[in-house]
Amino acid sequence: MEWDWEFVFKILPGLGRGVLITIQATIIGTVIAMVVGLFFAILRRSTNRWISRPVGFFVDFVRGTPLLVQLYFLFYILPDIGILLPPLLAGVIGLGLHYGTYTAEVYRAGIDNVPRGQWEAAKAANLNAYQTWRHVIIPQAVPPMMPALANYFVAMFKETPLLAAITVLELMNEARSAANFYYRYLEPMTLVGVFFLVISVPSVVLLRWLEKRFGKVE
Amino acid sequence: MGIERKIGRVAAAGFAIGLTMLSGAALAEGELDRLRDQGFARIAIANEPPWTEVKPDGKVTGAGPEVARAILKKLGVDDIVASISEYGAMIPGLQAKRFDMVAAGLFIKPERCAAVLFSQPDLCDAESFAVKKGNPMGIKSFEDVATKGASVGVVGGGTEEKLAIEAGVPRDKVIVVPDPQSGIKMLQAGRIDVYALPVLSISDLLKKADDPELEMFAPVAGTPIFCAGVAFPKGAEALRDAYDVELAKMKENGEFAAIVEPWGYSAEAAKQQNRETLCGGPN
Repeated sequence: MEWDWEFVFKILPGLGRGVLITIQATIIGTVIAMVVGLFFAILRRSTNRWISRPVGFFVDFVRGTPLLVQLYFLFYILPDIGILLPPLLAGVIGLGLHYGTYTAEVYRAGIDNVPRGQWEAAKAANLNAYQTWRHVIIPQAVPPMMPALANYFVAMFKETPLLAAITVLELMNEARSAANFYYRYLEPMTLVGVFFLVISVPSVVLLRWLEKRFGKVE
Repeated sequence: MGIERKIGRVAAAGFAIGLTMLSGAALAEGELDRLRDQGFARIAIANEPPWTEVKPDGKVTGAGPEVARAILKKLGVDDIVASISEYGAMIPGLQAKRFDMVAAGLFIKPERCAAVLFSQPDLCDAESFAVKKGNPMGIKSFEDVATKGASVGVVGGGTEEKLAIEAGVPRDKVIVVPDPQSGIKMLQAGRIDVYALPVLSISDLLKKADDPELEMFAPVAGTPIFCAGVAFPKGAEALRDAYDVELAKMKENGEFAAIVEPWGYSAEAAKQQNRETLCGGPN
């Protein structure tokens, strides 16, 4: 087992393309997870049972099943009912929905932490539901959640290799292709690890900063 | 007998086992003995009928494993234990000693000969495409895939992946499908335009899919007939040679034909080929 630099340089462009797809999937997935999670959290609090119950069930259902199974459903089974998603889109929807159910819990905790008096004050000021959420609750609830949300962002980033199962040519899939093509696993897999480290270590530093900046409980 | 002596013997035996493991390559003549002792050989397969197939009850069959099973029996190894692997992972797995041999219909090609030892050829087949009915894009070769901007499904590390990339199909149009069956699914869904595999694999898949909207195009222009052999790790020359002797005997007495022909393979094609030509040199 010898490290072959020439081989490394040969496969580097392909892996570089993979890194871009990985980053792209993570960012789009995060945006979806942030937005979807907020909706889940708000809808789950709805006083209308016909909204809160099904949403609650859906969230528990998604949280209780593996992401890989969900990806297979989105990719291989939805086409049977006429919904044909391109691989990357299916992947980010899978990631976004899956992590959306987790971020929903983070939002819920953040929203629950907004003192009751704020709700009452909003009511007293005659704000409607939209205004209450938009101007009173969310601005106070979101900053303390930042570290937890960023945590899921890093977790999602590390889950992107699952997208290889639905033919997305992200970093792991590019590395597998290179390994399959040249019968060498050492360099491609090591580089995958290195790429992930190079991105996740600075992210962790950023996380620490977020914790310091927003995480303090007042 | 004192207990110290017993301990001494156990330690010596342990040491000997350790030594055997350390110097695996040097003791390659012992490879066949090792398989006989353990009573089975670990083989890699791909679950791509008719080359290799795992039945719903878990039984391992297909032309490749059946030939290997018959020959190993003659060599005194009673059984085979198979693990399913991607084609590209087979050679690294062999090198990492995860399998004793690959009996998956791995085509004998020069770059593979550099990495592993092959038996004499056993299964030969031509390349083909599965396409939508009437071949709407008119794809007859891998070059056509490249020039017409079509996307092609291949199995990871398979011969077709290399053929496609060598013909100039861009990487993102060469879709690595996780297993042969999902390739058909992706063709039906329109995720790929053609699905490239050997003739016998495509005909088997199309028969099972039973979809009038799909058909086979063969032979693919510009591709030769490929022949597969059983692959062994480097250092297992003695085992490979013993295997070849039995294979040659079976080709002679008709037993070989009796095994491979029911699966659709031509015994004659395999007899006319030899490893040195396919490898482009001694292996």
